[in-house]
Amino acid sequence: MEIKLRNLKRNYGSLHAVDGVSLDIPSNTVYGIIGRSGAGKSTLVRLVSMLEKPDTGEVYYDDKRVDNLSKEELMQERRKIGMIFQNFNLFSSRNAEDNIAYPMEICRMDKDHIKRRTEELLALVGLEGRGKAPISTLSGGQKQRVAIARALAVNPSILFCDEATSALDPQTTRAILALIKEIQKKMNLTVVMITHQMEVVRDACDRVAVLDSGHVVEEGLVSDIFSSPKSSVTKDFLSSLTNVQESVVRWSKEGGHYTLRFRGTKTDEPIISTVSKATGAIFNIRAAGVQNLENEELGIMITDIGPDAETAARAVALLRENGVTVEEDA
Amino acid sequence: MQTMINLVLQSTWQTVVMVFLSTIFSLILGFPIGVLLHVTGSEEHGGIIPHPVFCSIISRIVNILRSFPFLILMIVLMPLSRLIIGTSIGTMATVIPLSIAAAPFVARVIETSLKEVDPGVVQAAKAMGSSNWQIIRKVLIPEALPSLVSGVTLTIINLIGYSAMAGAIGGGGLGDLAIRYGYQRFRPSYMVAAVIIIIVMVELIQFVGDRISARLLAKR
Repeated sequence: MEIKLRNLKRNYGSLHAVDGVSLDIPSNTVYGIIGRSGAGKSTLVRLVSMLEKPDTGEVYYDDKRVDNLSKEELMQERRKIGMIFQNFNLFSSRNAEDNIAYPMEICRMDKDHIKRRTEELLALVGLEGRGKAPISTLSGGQKQRVAIARALAVNPSILFCDEATSALDPQTTRAILALIKEIQKKMNLTVVMITHQMEVVRDACDRVAVLDSGHVVEEGLVSDIFSSPKSSVTKDFLSSLTNVQESVVRWSKEGGHYTLRFRGTKTDEPIISTVSKATGAIFNIRAAGVQNLENEELGIMITDIGPDAETAARAVALLRENGVTVEEDA
Repeated sequence: MQTMINLVLQSTWQTVVMVFLSTIFSLILGFPIGVLLHVTGSEEHGGIIPHPVFCSIISRIVNILRSFPFLILMIVLMPLSRLIIGTSIGTMATVIPLSIAAAPFVARVIETSLKEVDPGVVQAAKAMGSSNWQIIRKVLIPEALPSLVSGVTLTIINLIGYSAMAGAIGGGGLGDLAIRYGYQRFRPSYMVAAVIIIIVMVELIQFVGDRISARLLAKR
């Protein structure tokens, strides 16, 4: 299902939590919404998932407007979406399979169907035979798997993930993201992933919107955003990623006036040498590395270019001609 | 000696009946009020149908009833017993003021237990399209159950105390025995017997309540 947001606004007193957000979330994709804490992500997901009504603006699922539904319609519409959370929000009074059964129970499905579907779902998330396990005996990753199974119980067409991996360790995060991606393909889901972790966007998302102070500052394909970030918020996110990620090795803290980003096949070509020969520029590389995005590789190089400004300018121009994104520090 | 045993047994039975019936009636009265107090409360505290005016009105009434000294409330409610049971004296007649006196207490106990339920879980249930009734029945009450059991235990023990006081105004039971025989007729053995039986009852109820609550928690 396709989701369209039109000029959504939501204020809490004088705080503009969401301030004029318009987005088109295509169907059958994993769509990331990234922002720092306080950027308005949580409010946005509550608006998009119909848990809260916007002050102004519209939300459409396909062509159906869903932000102004009556209580009864709202309940029916909510049964078509799945949602998972940072803290899992499982029912401690129910074991794993009864948690998964809950959304089917409230739709009054028959017992045999619930039983069969629960078994299927447990298998889908890799928890065969753990149906009777009390929730408290499961690990964080297993809890999130139960939550995913519960969210998928009624065959939703949209899955919202609200910081779904933020409480998990990196390894479990990767496993859960892989599971979500696999399920997305299997069930042709539209997955909306709210996060503050660039790793999540890199590892799982096709498209991403960057949120800052209630506004969308940047939106596009993940590979585009990673190779040529425009807003400072996005650059911050990317640099936090390059610092924590061992894929970029930085061997000098100083310098690094230019940031070069190579996409896809460009990472295989000897561009630096070519440019160096053609212009006579000298490259002093400060840090470099490769990151694996969903579909392609992205090379990053932080460098100084010499010997003089004029040669550097010519080198930069030639690099850009060759499809390399070059950023200059002011 | 024989008469004493008979009297003590009879009084114990009266207390048991009084406490049992008034527990049931006070739960019937207080439980829905406790649920209402919780669900109409503010959203930050997990209210699913926030209604500040309604909530504060019930809250006020509950507070007023709770601040009445129990004996005064009993006396105020005597005409009600006469209206319903036909008399204002005796074990049955005492059940009505006991139940009404304990109901506001039950309401608060229930409300407090429900407030302990993680609001995130309630939000998840809401996001899945649960009706308010389904949230109450399938989420709030089961999630709060161990704590609710402790609350009911507390209520029963409170009612044992209240029922002993009710004896003072002709309600029968162990309190009545202690006052009429032990105090007014100077027979300390009656007083001692009554107090010991009350202590045993309280210990027993607490023990059973704790066990059930612990059993429920252990399954999670």
